[in-house]
Amino acid sequence: MSKVLEINNLRYKKNNKLILNNINLDLETGKIIGLLGANGAGKTTLMRLIAGVNSRTSGKITVSGVDSKAAIKSCVSMTYSLKSFKSLAGGGWSKRSDRVKDVIKFYLEVYPDFSLEKYQQMAKFLTIDNNQKIEALSTGGQEKLMIALTLARQVSLYLLDEPLNGVDIMTRKKIIKSIIQWKSDDSTIIISSHYVTEIASLLDDVVIIKDQTVNQVISVEEIQTKYRLGVEDYYEKIYEGGLKDE
Amino acid sequence: MEYIDNIPIYLQIKDILYRKIISNEYELGSQLPSVRQLAVQFSANSNTVQKALKEMTEEDVIIPQRGKGNYVTEDDAIVNKLKDHIVTEMFDTTYDKLHSLNMNDTEITNSFSEYVKQREDNHE
Repeated sequence: MSKVLEINNLRYKKNNKLILNNINLDLETGKIIGLLGANGAGKTTLMRLIAGVNSRTSGKITVSGVDSKAAIKSCVSMTYSLKSFKSLAGGGWSKRSDRVKDVIKFYLEVYPDFSLEKYQQMAKFLTIDNNQKIEALSTGGQEKLMIALTLARQVSLYLLDEPLNGVDIMTRKKIIKSIIQWKSDDSTIIISSHYVTEIASLLDDVVIIKDQTVNQVISVEEIQTKYRLGVEDYYEKIYEGGLKDE
Repeated sequence: MEYIDNIPIYLQIKDILYRKIISNEYELGSQLPSVRQLAVQFSANSNTVQKALKEMTEEDVIIPQRGKGNYVTEDDAIVNKLKDHIVTEMFDTTYDKLHSLNMNDTEITNSFSEYVKQREDNHE
C-alpha cells in the first residue's frame, strides 16, 4: 500500500517552548486514523503542521509524495473554526457575506478541488440550510457545515479536528455516518475526538500522542484481540503510565 | 450501533449479518447491501465491513459475484449449519452458567421446560 503521510523527526517550538518533539509517523492510504491525546498534548498543532498552517521548527513532512508547503496545501483538507472566515472576510461579516452560501462561494473560489455536487449531497443528508446566517448556527450546525465543506474538497488527506465537540448525540451519529458515506476509498482521514468509544467503530488505527511525541500507533483490532480492551480503556491505561506487553 | 468495545467490530458485524440470514431477513440467494451501505448502516469503517464479508465468503455463507456484490448462499444446509452453531453457542453459555450454580443436568432440563411453559402462558 502506498503512503499518504510520512513525518520524519518533526519538532515544533512555540515561544521557545517545545510543543512537539521527535515525531515520526507513516500512514498508509485509505485508512481512518484516530488521533488521541490529552488536552494540550498537541493534536491540533500536529494537524496544523501537517496542513501547512503552522510552520515546523525542524523535520520533514511528506503528503502523497510532495513535501513543499504550497504543494501540500492542495493535498490536505482540514476543518477550521468558522470564526476564522470572519477574519478572512475582513474582520467582520459584511451584510453580503454572512450566510452559509457565502462560505460555500468562498470555498469554490479558493479551492479548485471543491466539489459543489458532493457538498450538496452532504448538505441534504445533514440538513444544512444554505440560506441560514452563519451567526445563527448552533454548535452542531457549525460542525455539520464544517464537515460537509471539508469533505467536499477532493484531496488525499482529510484532517478532522474534534468534529463532534459540543454536538448533541443525534448529530454526532449523523456526522459519523456522513464521514463513512462520503469518504472515497483512496483517501485517508485523521480524526481527533474526545468521544473515543463513539468513534472506535470508525477507526482502523489510533495514534496516541503523549509527552510531546507519538507514543504509539496501533490498530483497533490489535487493542481488542491482544489486550482484550476497548480503545478508550487502552488509551487511559497508556496515559496512566503504560501497559505491560504480554 | 452499540458495540461491545473489547471485541473486534468485524466479528460483531459478522454475527449480526449471520443472525439476519438465519432469521430470513436476508433470504437465501438474495443480494446483500453494498459495502458502503452496510458501513453506513453499522456506523463502521468500510475496511471492517470488508473483513466481515471476507470471512463470510470463506465460510461459504455469502458468494461474491463480480461487479454485482455479494449474494446469500442458496444452499439451506449451510444456513442450517450456521443456525445450529449459533444455537449451540448460546446454549453453551447458559449451560455453563447454570452449572456454576450447582445445578445438575436433570435440574437444568426441568427448569428450562418449566421456563418455556411459563413463557407460553404469559403469551396467552
